[in-house]
Amino acid sequence: MSDKKQQVSRRQFLNYTLTGVGGFMAAGLLVSPIRMAIDPVLKETSNGELVNVGVSVDDITTEPQRIDWTVNQVDGWYESEPSRSAWVFKDDNGDVVALSPICTHLGCVVSWEGSDQHPNQFFCPCHDGRYEKDGTNVPGTPPLAPLAVYEQEIKDGILFLGNPISRKGA
Amino acid sequence: MKWRKNDMEQYVKAKEYIDTVIIPLIPFQMAKDQELSKDSFQNEALALFLTEMEKELSGRLLLTPNYHYIKSTNLEQEKGRLNLWIANIQEQPFNHIFFITFDPKWKKVERELDGSLIWLPGFPTKDLLSNDVLQMVRGQVTEISELIRSYW
Repeated sequence: MSDKKQQVSRRQFLNYTLTGVGGFMAAGLLVSPIRMAIDPVLKETSNGELVNVGVSVDDITTEPQRIDWTVNQVDGWYESEPSRSAWVFKDDNGDVVALSPICTHLGCVVSWEGSDQHPNQFFCPCHDGRYEKDGTNVPGTPPLAPLAVYEQEIKDGILFLGNPISRKGA
Repeated sequence: MKWRKNDMEQYVKAKEYIDTVIIPLIPFQMAKDQELSKDSFQNEALALFLTEMEKELSGRLLLTPNYHYIKSTNLEQEKGRLNLWIANIQEQPFNHIFFITFDPKWKKVERELDGSLIWLPGFPTKDLLSNDVLQMVRGQVTEISELIRSYW
């Protein structure tokens, strides 16, 4: 009976093993270059730069509210911008808008309706700069460009914000 | 604005808009073991507070480098040196000069300084990055900003 079993010849055995081992080695060599080549693609889909700012979309109204969050940091090096802020509201279409509070004039922090004389506008306390609700600078006040808009994404009803993107002057 | 390259380049171009200076007054000592942790913590806390403060009003406010002095020193001497700083600062068109400190000793010589002293009670010694402390700092920043704006 045993001689009826298919015998693997020495030549075949060596061929199989060498192909197998060689294949593994080739795959091992290829993994890191392929990984590196497609890495940017992987990063983009995971959106590593956007941060959960702890606000649910349902809590956002048409009235701008200030939210503060901290950017993830390795250590407590205070000089390097530990916190960020945004004015967040829903526009007339119900889309969420997140504006940077940094005045485009000289960089003070603006506040919504910060001056009693100018309702429905953002107001900069330093030099009376003003912006419309959509962030457009009011002509005749010091700022020459609109407020920057944050990159944003909504995942599962939670707002994620990235970096502020500046806009051209009005 | 802080006393650093980029800000100073901007300052020279936009001088007429920046009329307020803040000088932090910070005591330093290495002599007493049991107070080292507390004193250095107050230094960190003030740094955090000033960073937030500077961000809030950076377009009109210049934050100078810290003014350090030995904690046990006689403020009669420091007062003179500090006024030299101010004389130098006033070579530029600044209208308002503020000192911010946690050290109550300055209160006594306040009237002999050429500026307004803002004394803050120190922060409780806790983890600086905890949410409680950040909330507290933000609250204080809002109040002190209001105070400074009332001078404008």
